[in-house]
Amino acid sequence: MIHRDMICPFCGCLCDDLVITTEGNEVVQVDNACTLGTHKLMGAWKNRLKNPIMRDGGEWRDASYEEAIEYAAGVLLDADRPLLYGWSSTQGEAQGLGVSMAELLGGVIDSTTSVCHGPSILAIQEVGHPGCTLGQVKNRADLVIYWACNPTEAHPRHMSRYTTYADGFFLENAFRDRKLIVVDVRKSETTSIADEFVKVKPGGDYAVFSALRAIVRGRADVVPDTVAGVSKEQLVRIGAMCKEAKFGALFFGVGLTMAPGKYKNIRNAIELVDELNRYTKWTLTPLRGHYNVYGSNEVFTWMTGYPYAVDFSRQIAFYNPGETTAVDILARKECDACLIVASDPGAHFPKACLEHLTKIPTVLIDPMHTVTTPLCRCQIPTAVNGIDAGGTAYRMDGVPIHVKKFMDLGYPSDTEVIGRIFERIQEVKHP
Amino acid sequence: MSDLLIKNAFVIDPINRINGEIMDIAVRDGRIVEDVGQGAEVIDAGGHLTLPGGVDSHTHICGTKVNFGRYMSPEDMRAGREARRGVKHSISGYSVPTTYANSYRYAIMGYTTLLEGAMAPLEARHTHEEFSATPLQDVMANTLFDGNWGVMEAIRDGDIERAAAIVGWTLSAVKGFGIKLTNPGGTEAWGYGKDVTCIRDKVPHFEVSPAEIVEGMIRVCELLRLPHSVHLHCNNLGKPGNYACTVGTLNLAPDLNEKRQTLYATHVQFHSYGGSDWKTFCSKAEPVAYTVNNRPQIVIDMGQVMFGKTTTMTADGPMEFNLYRLHHDKWSNHDVELETGSGIIPVLYRRKNLVNSIMWSIGLELALLVKNPWQCMLTTDNPNGAPFVKYPEIIALLMSKKYRDAEFATVHPDTGSKVVLPALERELDWNEIAVMTRAGQAKALGITGIGKGHLGIGAEADIAVYPLKVDEIDPSTEYQRVIDGFAKTKWTVKRGRPVSRDGEILVHGENTTIWVDPKIRPERDISRDPRFVEMFNHWYSVRMSNYPVQDEYLRRNLRMETEAAI
Amino acid sequence: MTFLFNTGRTSAQGTGLEHKSGPEYREATSVCRMNPVDLMQLEIEAGERIRAAGPGGVVVLRVAASDDIPQGTVFVPLGPYANAVVGAETHGTGMPDYKSVEVEVEPTDDPVPTIDQLMEAVGGLAYLEEER
Repeated sequence: MIHRDMICPFCGCLCDDLVITTEGNEVVQVDNACTLGTHKLMGAWKNRLKNPIMRDGGEWRDASYEEAIEYAAGVLLDADRPLLYGWSSTQGEAQGLGVSMAELLGGVIDSTTSVCHGPSILAIQEVGHPGCTLGQVKNRADLVIYWACNPTEAHPRHMSRYTTYADGFFLENAFRDRKLIVVDVRKSETTSIADEFVKVKPGGDYAVFSALRAIVRGRADVVPDTVAGVSKEQLVRIGAMCKEAKFGALFFGVGLTMAPGKYKNIRNAIELVDELNRYTKWTLTPLRGHYNVYGSNEVFTWMTGYPYAVDFSRQIAFYNPGETTAVDILARKECDACLIVASDPGAHFPKACLEHLTKIPTVLIDPMHTVTTPLCRCQIPTAVNGIDAGGTAYRMDGVPIHVKKFMDLGYPSDTEVIGRIFERIQEVKHP
Repeated sequence: MSDLLIKNAFVIDPINRINGEIMDIAVRDGRIVEDVGQGAEVIDAGGHLTLPGGVDSHTHICGTKVNFGRYMSPEDMRAGREARRGVKHSISGYSVPTTYANSYRYAIMGYTTLLEGAMAPLEARHTHEEFSATPLQDVMANTLFDGNWGVMEAIRDGDIERAAAIVGWTLSAVKGFGIKLTNPGGTEAWGYGKDVTCIRDKVPHFEVSPAEIVEGMIRVCELLRLPHSVHLHCNNLGKPGNYACTVGTLNLAPDLNEKRQTLYATHVQFHSYGGSDWKTFCSKAEPVAYTVNNRPQIVIDMGQVMFGKTTTMTADGPMEFNLYRLHHDKWSNHDVELETGSGIIPVLYRRKNLVNSIMWSIGLELALLVKNPWQCMLTTDNPNGAPFVKYPEIIALLMSKKYRDAEFATVHPDTGSKVVLPALERELDWNEIAVMTRAGQAKALGITGIGKGHLGIGAEADIAVYPLKVDEIDPSTEYQRVIDGFAKTKWTVKRGRPVSRDGEILVHGENTTIWVDPKIRPERDISRDPRFVEMFNHWYSVRMSNYPVQDEYLRRNLRMETEAAI
Repeated sequence: MTFLFNTGRTSAQGTGLEHKSGPEYREATSVCRMNPVDLMQLEIEAGERIRAAGPGGVVVLRVAASDDIPQGTVFVPLGPYANAVVGAETHGTGMPDYKSVEVEVEPTDDPVPTIDQLMEAVGGLAYLEEER
């Protein structure tokens, strides 16, 4: 069977033009997706945990959904300070349930945002976000900057769908008329196709942004001969390109959020874009990693007021990144139970956090055997959103798309499993 | 659903010309009926003021830019926190509250129906998701068409039927309610950082003017037989001297509909400015009101500014950028491809600021100078002028010259030479207030037919009982009691079920989304038009098959089908 | 020798994401890319192993040479191996120092651990034998 206009559940590009061919319950071909999406769709109907598993003493054993859900609810009810973490690769409907559950439990809910673009949000909370939908970039941008990211490897179709290789309504010959600037600490697949590659010393992005802002404001005189390894001459050239563009689009990745300065780097980037908007048109978009991490921010925000790291222990929504973020809570050994949904902190959290995860009852809701599996005491496999489950996802620019299911493999969705855990909890803790 | 009987209600129901009668209101299955049996739940209204549930015809509560406003403003969240209690979720937010906060606060004020002021079709799904989390009010969405490529091209080509086909298809696809135009033409120009400066300016590339867009869309609206008229945020919002543009725009509106206005101009306070710069800035509420008074086909809403902090958010991207350059605080922007734009900045309206004091006066002037209350709705363009929780204060200001004078004494001392407010003696009465906060809105939105805005037999049982005894209060002097009275109902009943009592939320709620589905002849189905499809395939970043809002996003909903004339 | 430790996404790490118990993921995330000049100074060759010690701990990695990597830095893809050396300090931001810790690097003959071994070292229990 051929399924058209399907949505890829991998990265923040949220491509919705995939053609998936199935034969029975097998995916045999995927067209239009990049290598990451193709791999996921070709592989993720297999490689799944067959049923819930639980750890008894020194061994793993199979368990029924009933038992695993009962266990999960029990673990969360017993806890004084449960942490509900992850959420980025599941449907919005499940994210909303997570929030309601955390509220009733008086626990903390956080998403992978906190170790990815959390700093971008912190910067936005200081200075705002001058953004747009990706179609605006596609149709108008004659100058694109990729800063501290490598879309060729991490968002492979970004350039062909939204920037360099895409057709643009206002651009006669888009590929020829668009210029590409890539800023990074090292050469990469993306830097090799840039019109201008700006090589920055690690940790030097903040200074480079400041230099560019000075240049844009006509104060190149205060800029020294080199800034973080970048020559003044190149900076002046880049500054001029930015001001002369009709529409500039700045995309950036974790190279800025994880580097020293973290959210200050993003703040400086935003202020540069704000400055450029006084002369011409510029927008800025964080390259979100997971296909629905932005969804977790949206859902958490309209329900609680805050985009991640929400602590309900005071019966109000309380937000304080650094205190209520998952890495910090685990490093301080503050939580006494953890529910992990649709994410893999085993692979992405510092070791000290993992040491605590193994000491407390941790439940993992994930379709596959991941690096986190050995760390939990119970794993409940669910359907994969975009394959055998559907629901809402928010693209990196905020556009909401309904991710479709095209197969049934007998697994419950995250929404169903979390719903059942929540029901158990509500039986004990009446709202 | 059980029976309910509200006894001893002092009813003001302008649509049914009831102006202060003690009566019983009987409810069965969510509707008002002649009478109910012995087993009914009884609420004793004790002679207190009972009105149809409040209807807000322009408020920003759900959707992409509202949520942007929320997550960029954690300080606003902290300013309005309340703990979880019973069925009531914990809530956050002062000027950009969370969805539950909005819903609870509106319910406590007696509001039961809300029109979201702006929804971009591409992002409609988001609005509908937030609608589901605003459970105590029925909701509907004004759908943005001000920068719509397909529409602009059709109007440029003089093909109004094609424009109507596009608008009709889009409304049905995204489950929208009405046509919203925000700075028509300007939002498209902002795609490249520009704006339009007057209604005759041509939009770059598309070669239509705002005047042509407005006139074209008015005709589209009537062709599609939409319940609500075109809802317009005029060009040049916020600029000194913009009143001329506003009057020019209002004069464009013909009188095409006998049941309601042909043009609804929103938050007109922001569009009634005289002078040529900030120094000569003054009120031009008089000529604007004069125009409205002479054109029964126009309805406006106030867009009242109140002092204090708030967040401005509108689809008018270029306006917000200019405002950011004035205030130099944080600024967010979000242009939506092929459709519209938006901008958000937090602001502080201060009495010490002359311009702000003039703005505050203008909103009140408009409400007092427009003679017919059915032509001037009470709003703050929430949250742009002020958070909606300030409505009771505005009511009190309109009902009491004494209160206005007391407040006027606290604003900037030079305000008097720039506005006419101190000379206005008029005090609105209870009936006029009822019109401006519910009956008038329901009529302007075209939803009286489905039972909103009135308490006649067959109406939806959306009822608000306020702790006000009309015979025992002199609103002209006891304005604080008016404020307190309208701030918190004794009972708010929604679809026959009490949802709040003395400020306490009683139920989780289950609202209805009201949307419009124009029935268009199959030959005019634009989704089969090759040019329209090509526009999707080439220029949108989302596939046409993924664009419409799927049925699962609407739970309880009321589909208003219209017989389009195309 | 002291190096600045950089982590990031790579295509191979990304394709491995959907099958983390497979060999590709382990291969992709346990490699440490270094500048050839730095390798020469350490007196090791591509394919050999180094021990990296950082604020979070110590881990053995396989090295690969790459001209793209600036001297004085090492690049390890995002994953459990990189996280074995990154500390949990976030400086009040919620975000660990994924791209700014310093590591001490020296050659070693110790084997590169499997992911299961890494997880068991922190108290976990491997679920299946990792596929070879």
